[in-house]
Amino acid sequence: MLKYVVNLAVIVIGLVSFIPGPGPSPGLSDKVQLGKLLFFDPILSGDRTISCASCHKPAYAFADSTALSPGVSGRKGTRNTPSAMNIALQDIFFWDGRARTLEEQALAPIENPVEMNLSLDQALRRLRHNKKYRDLFRQVFNSDPTRGHLAEAIAAFERTLETSNSPFDNWKMSGDTAAVSNAVKRGFALFGTKAKCTKCHFGSDFTQRDFRNIGLFDGKALNDSGRASLPGQEKELGKFKVPGLRNIAVTAPYMHNGMFRTLREVIAFYNDPEKIVPHAINRDTVLAKPLGLTEGEKADLEAFLVSLTDKQFAGGSIRQVPD
Amino acid sequence: MLLAITGNEKLIGRWESPVSPKGNITGVIFRADSTFDAYVNNKPFTSGPYKLKNDTFSFTDNGCDGKQGIYKIIFFSNEDSLRFQPIDDPCEERKNGMSKLILGRKK
Repeated sequence: MLKYVVNLAVIVIGLVSFIPGPGPSPGLSDKVQLGKLLFFDPILSGDRTISCASCHKPAYAFADSTALSPGVSGRKGTRNTPSAMNIALQDIFFWDGRARTLEEQALAPIENPVEMNLSLDQALRRLRHNKKYRDLFRQVFNSDPTRGHLAEAIAAFERTLETSNSPFDNWKMSGDTAAVSNAVKRGFALFGTKAKCTKCHFGSDFTQRDFRNIGLFDGKALNDSGRASLPGQEKELGKFKVPGLRNIAVTAPYMHNGMFRTLREVIAFYNDPEKIVPHAINRDTVLAKPLGLTEGEKADLEAFLVSLTDKQFAGGSIRQVPD
Repeated sequence: MLLAITGNEKLIGRWESPVSPKGNITGVIFRADSTFDAYVNNKPFTSGPYKLKNDTFSFTDNGCDGKQGIYKIIFFSNEDSLRFQPIDDPCEERKNGMSKLILGRKK
């Protein structure tokens, strides 16, 4: 349920008004600039070919456009790259929630053998032997690169990747009823009622920061047990983190395994999960019965989801939904 | 005319919390059409209809399964600030948040 006001106690540093590229951005602190430099630098991968941005691509709201992103030597993991935007308010990271802070999360892909495949000791050694980074770490932290400072810098940059300038935001914040179409308004109403989306996707980033089993685990073809793979979490079979929905129109494909290519496929799944993935194990009771959405209602829901797209991504390949 | 009767005019407008120790600002926009939008750091997070009768504020929002919350609204500092005192809200998490919320009128 809603983490209303008091539980929203996490850091937001600032907003971006453009899609950040690898170059310096005026106005960002030195720590954020350092984090940004590291985020885009393949120096942190074993074969120096993969950076954080290789999978968290700015043009796709810092997600990827493929179901599974290739890591070093073309190795592929098993889970879809989530957006690294709008995570400043979050307190669980990775699809299974195995990191509790952004700093903890920031270091894990570096060491992951199918992602960047570089030990942190080696990474720090590389940074210490690199004059640019040695000088920058001294400037920002007054020390040589350390594990903690590396995490701190990358996390600081990621916390700047907040967006709040979507048509939906403009409608709600300015009261401009013309900011969105009637389809968006109908979709928003459905989102909180018949479609039951707010049962899980509630809050300023449309996530309650918890874990749900939506029915994508059947123990056979779909055998990623999600959070249950963590020690002591065996009862969490098939549960994954509820992702935020801001900029969702530019982060396809969807779900932890990237199995749905479009928002319409996602909506069709939620409308009748058993029809799409029969015999799922432990599916959440919220999804026990088909929603019974009409085609028009599905289109309205899609229009609402598209309206969550920040204007920095306007003009891209986002599908426009008619009024 | 309606505003004069209900006293809504004291409430209508934009209200915001002070910056929290971790840098967050919570705000609420109360509109003359008896709807509100709440936001955190300029991101809307819930909305719905509200009523204000004397000092009793009642509302529903997108969360809490549509359950109504009823609060006493307390204006202070020359009606430039407000807080909410729970009267009846079956949604515990919302009640916890609302009880600690102090808002100042945004100029």
